[in-house]
Amino acid sequence: MSNEINPNDIVKTKAKDGSNVEFVFKDPKQGGVKDVYFAPDRSEVVAFFRNPLDVSGRERIEKIVTDYRSRIYEQAGGEYWKECFCWPEKIVEYNGMTGIVVPTYQNCFFFQTGNLAGTEKEGKWFASPKIYNRFVPMEEKGSLLGYLRLCLKLSRATRRLHAAGLAHSDLSYKNCLVDPQSGNACIIDIDGLVVPGVFPPDVIGTPDFIAPEVVASTGRQREDRILPSQATDRHALAVLIYQYLFHRHPLRGGKIYSQDNDVQEKMEMGEKALFIEHPNDKSNRPILDDNDDICMPWVDVEKIPYTTAGPMLKTLFDRAFIEGLHDPAQRPTADDWEDAIVKTSDMIQPCSNENCVKKWFIFDNSTRPVCPYCGTPYKGILPLLDFYSSRNGKDYRPDNHRLMVFSGQSLYQWHTNRSVIPNEKIKKEHTTRVGYFSFFKGKWLFVNQTLTSMKNLTTDQPVPIGTGVELVDGLKLQFSSDTNGRIAYIQIAKGT
Amino acid sequence: MRKLPVYLLIDISGSMMGDPIEAVKNGMQIMHSALRKDPYALESAYISIITFADDVVQVVPLTEVASFRPPTISAGGGTSLGGALSKVYECATREVQKSTSSEKGDWKPLVFIMTDGVPTDDLTKGLNIFKQYKWGIVVACDAGNGAGLSALLQITQNVVSLDMTDSSSIQAYFKWVSSSISASSQKVEDANFDDSSDLNELPPPPPEISLIIP
Repeated sequence: MSNEINPNDIVKTKAKDGSNVEFVFKDPKQGGVKDVYFAPDRSEVVAFFRNPLDVSGRERIEKIVTDYRSRIYEQAGGEYWKECFCWPEKIVEYNGMTGIVVPTYQNCFFFQTGNLAGTEKEGKWFASPKIYNRFVPMEEKGSLLGYLRLCLKLSRATRRLHAAGLAHSDLSYKNCLVDPQSGNACIIDIDGLVVPGVFPPDVIGTPDFIAPEVVASTGRQREDRILPSQATDRHALAVLIYQYLFHRHPLRGGKIYSQDNDVQEKMEMGEKALFIEHPNDKSNRPILDDNDDICMPWVDVEKIPYTTAGPMLKTLFDRAFIEGLHDPAQRPTADDWEDAIVKTSDMIQPCSNENCVKKWFIFDNSTRPVCPYCGTPYKGILPLLDFYSSRNGKDYRPDNHRLMVFSGQSLYQWHTNRSVIPNEKIKKEHTTRVGYFSFFKGKWLFVNQTLTSMKNLTTDQPVPIGTGVELVDGLKLQFSSDTNGRIAYIQIAKGT
Repeated sequence: MRKLPVYLLIDISGSMMGDPIEAVKNGMQIMHSALRKDPYALESAYISIITFADDVVQVVPLTEVASFRPPTISAGGGTSLGGALSKVYECATREVQKSTSSEKGDWKPLVFIMTDGVPTDDLTKGLNIFKQYKWGIVVACDAGNGAGLSALLQITQNVVSLDMTDSSSIQAYFKWVSSSISASSQKVEDANFDDSSDLNELPPPPPEISLIIP
């Protein structure tokens, strides 16, 4: 394809807000409902709706570029959302067509190497075992940490939409670009946003992500249909997270309901949907056959069970795919996922096998410390910190937050102070580490860098800035005398 | 792994000689390179090419996208559309895995038929055999200014037409065929999970292709 632009193809016009818009009116990229034209400098695109919008469709995009946009971007932490959404910025009318101006995707969302170079990293590349194993270049596969981070971004972005009273209605791997290398994710195709009671959905979603109650209600009269909402976004979000962590679909197993393809699809994704890893009902376990070698180990739920994601995420997957699969009110919210992923990120350990495809694994000390992805055991000892906090400075309660230590790991304010939460609103001064962990001469040390009132509660001695304290079994550390300051109780876990 | 079988039936009769057949070859190249960058196609699509002139030949058996190579074809002879229809029935019966009580079968095959003329063999015979199979979406493309229209409308209600003298429209057709293999959002009105096999389930055809309303 030639990159040269013929000046005659450049259209210069004004957006409805009066600002200038330019686009190359040639060779559109065709989406489902829109034709997409790039700006000459490729910094933004103009996407024209192929079919004229009705009154409510027009009103919807008006709201999206004005009210809904400012509701999200003009709040505290607004800047943060620029990389989480490709949010429409302006409306353009040209030749009787209505279009929206949307920023182009960041460079990290395009493959950089091999024959895929330049191709968009839509989620599907990383969600299917065959595609992930066979077609994604090794250097672009990313690590477990990258997948946790991108799932965190997706959860956050969904949480933000929901907090603004909106529902996406079509979360799918097509509408979420992901980059497991940098841990980034971006929700695109925002123009179909659903506002309960105001703007109904145009689509019921994309197969693989449509909530079971929505699938089950297809074919009924319109008034008896169940349509996308925040509750169905929650189902889609859970499916996305499951797929990015395990490279398989949580509901597509081996159970047969009908030899008719259409009936089978409607049952397995709808009223009969069943988690492939249901602990009691094992009838939908994936059937492994010879063709699946290229999909291993991901299709084998015995080798890589969902419990490898750690106790926090296991609990949420149970709520999403067991308790909440057919009971939308039980589904975890985007906030729940965000919180669990933040805590799970503190349970990861580097794998000592440098060829390990995931580089990290989640270890909470409830199992033998072995990397589930390559089978390499953890050697040596490692400290773990359980955090406690107090509302009154006297009674300390467990925070259900555990930090598994590795050498070089950092401790942050959100560990040491319960008023600091690691999300988009975090202050810049809270993003630098307050101390770090180091394995030195056969001992595990915590080195205090900035904590002014840290204390070793076991010896009742202060831990001044610039000094270290050896981590031994049963040690209690207080990170701050502040009411919101946390205490950590240290245990030592043994590898093989 | 469940396959999504895609059968392309291509007319290589004498009238396709010259530019049209070159455009078809080029179109298959374009389709191939698009499919190799599409994760949905790489995951499950399997492509087969059946050509028809005096004889009907499955020049490419059902092959996964990563191993597919566009075939060498040359034009000449009649238009055995009826024979092509019985051939694709025979191929699908052999190549497509049916669901059993213990195993999920392949997805329903997609069929794309392209012809520029009137069938020169027994269409009815082929059609009767063809209709015995439960296909997914069947699209017929008239590339001969309406010459084959009445035959095509007997095969499927999804008929499109394109201008064969314009190589870019043939390219657009093959691009559209490749994009139809990807998953897309389901519109509220269309989603019924029933026997629906109409064009609404595919991405809209590009402007070079006109829809024929029967």
